[in-house]
Amino acid sequence: MKGLASTLLRRVASLLLLLVVLTTLLFFLLRVTADQALVLAGPEASAEQVAAIRSQYGLDRPLLTQYVAYLGDLVRLDFGTSIISGQPAIGEVRARIWATVALAIAGMMATIAISIPLGAWLGARPHTGGRRTLAAFVFLLQGTPGFVVALLLVQLFAVQLKWLPFMGYGSFATWIMPTLTLASFLAPKLTRVVAANVNSALAEDHIRTARANGAPFTEIYWRHALPNALLGATALIGTQFAFLLSGSVITEMIFGWPGIGTLLIRSIQSADFAVVQAVTIAIAIMVFVVNALTDASFRVLDPRLRRAGS
Amino acid sequence: MSAPETLAIEPLQTHGLPPSRWSPRHWPTGLRLGAALGLALLCASALLPVVLSVDPMVTDLGRRLAAPGQQGFILGSDQLGRDILARILAGLSWSLAVAGTATALAALIGVVLGLLAADRPGLLRTLINQLVDMVLSFPGLVIAIVVIAVLGHGFWPLVLTLGVLSWPVFARVVYAEARSVLAQDYVLAARLLGTSRMRVLLGHVLPGLTPSLMVMLAFHFADMMIAESALSFLGVGAPLGTASLGNMLSESRQYLFVAPYMMLLPAAAIVLAVVAANLIGDGLAAADRRGRPSAHDGGDKT
Repeated sequence: MKGLASTLLRRVASLLLLLVVLTTLLFFLLRVTADQALVLAGPEASAEQVAAIRSQYGLDRPLLTQYVAYLGDLVRLDFGTSIISGQPAIGEVRARIWATVALAIAGMMATIAISIPLGAWLGARPHTGGRRTLAAFVFLLQGTPGFVVALLLVQLFAVQLKWLPFMGYGSFATWIMPTLTLASFLAPKLTRVVAANVNSALAEDHIRTARANGAPFTEIYWRHALPNALLGATALIGTQFAFLLSGSVITEMIFGWPGIGTLLIRSIQSADFAVVQAVTIAIAIMVFVVNALTDASFRVLDPRLRRAGS
Repeated sequence: MSAPETLAIEPLQTHGLPPSRWSPRHWPTGLRLGAALGLALLCASALLPVVLSVDPMVTDLGRRLAAPGQQGFILGSDQLGRDILARILAGLSWSLAVAGTATALAALIGVVLGLLAADRPGLLRTLINQLVDMVLSFPGLVIAIVVIAVLGHGFWPLVLTLGVLSWPVFARVVYAEARSVLAQDYVLAARLLGTSRMRVLLGHVLPGLTPSLMVMLAFHFADMMIAESALSFLGVGAPLGTASLGNMLSESRQYLFVAPYMMLLPAAAIVLAVVAANLIGDGLAAADRRGRPSAHDGGDKT
């Protein structure tokens, strides 16, 4: 248990370091991109109006002073106020984060539901005709960027067939295309890894021994090869989920999904720096937590690691 | 994958292919297919524009939104009457150039830092590995959007952002493999003979990493193609108006009903290029596995 505590401590320390670097980088980069006072004042404001806004929001102070003040606020978990809505930035994030997380979970569940049976089936006997064709299709899909899949789905289901709404968030129908889009860029990779793992697990010495001893193929497959193959896929599932939390920005944009991805793009465009920073910090923390959980589940699932870790 | 296992003593060179395996006759089918497709795309983007001599930027509002094959456009025209074939070819060479340069940059940084970390235990190794972990956990897209907003649109901002955010992939693999090569007897022998550190790394370690590096280069190129088109699609990649595949796809969204080919054709071009790179990567990995003595050390076990 001592090992676990120190691992956890080290991880939290590296998360804090990451957050410090990330917020510092963002703070200075963002302030080079745009002048918040000009955005707030609007295009027709006079120089005096801009100056008034600058002193009202404390933007006339030296950048370093602003930075120290910002860090001080962060330590007190105050992420600043959105200049667009006037609401606390953290509230904006909280209002939208569940749409993103829910979509990521839906996408991951679809990916698992497609990839594991498909990969297990493809990996068992990879060189037969039908499976080869399907494997080629999986390969083709792997080469298709997510937003291209999204555009193709829109073209097929919304424009041509008129079965599904173009965009939106609500009824079951609005979930189908975003979920499929996310699954389409994760499922090919997972399918191929599961298939490769099943295939190489079937080539292991102990499997060959079991077969030589007369154990039926189905028993070997279900009891020995598949569990080993799925264990190897766990790490990838974790990485993919972490990726979904930060990588669904384009999908959210295409389908008008009210998650933190659309919030991020809109805030960057409108120079709403407090919100950009809050979203980035939220994403970094979520990715960190998912990665830590993946590592932990790996320890629980793999008896070899459990023994080595104690 | 199903290569027979041998109990033979490992030959001196444990990584890499015997020279004969590099000749196309020994290439796996996927590698040949990918190389042919890639070559075809390269030639098309370099030569076809000369043959066609159609300017991808010239607009003709009298002949806008023509379907493929109509009004003298082989693949149709877009909302401003620009030739779609010419734009796809120009966009393809833009994407190939960005992805190629970004991949080279990422590989350069990754190889240098990976080799350094493997060779110098202590502070430098710790620092580099920390940096790798940190950049890997950056929300890449966010940083890319912000950096490009700062540096402006264009070729070099895009290449710098993509390269600087993606080198850890190379550094990680180079570090791990270089450490195992550094522990080999022949490296020790070279060191005992008084070979300088630099020469050991460049002359003895780096050649052993070539097969894995080539596989990584191919896959990374595919990733960079996708990233470039995604950024351009979002409007933070190629300058607006430039013929780039991402820009074309983004413009096509307003004409979903009238001109679906405005979306389908550039999409097909991206998919072909990425599939070609993936085929090459897969094929190289298969050739590498075939060249290795054991059946168990290869495979994409993750």
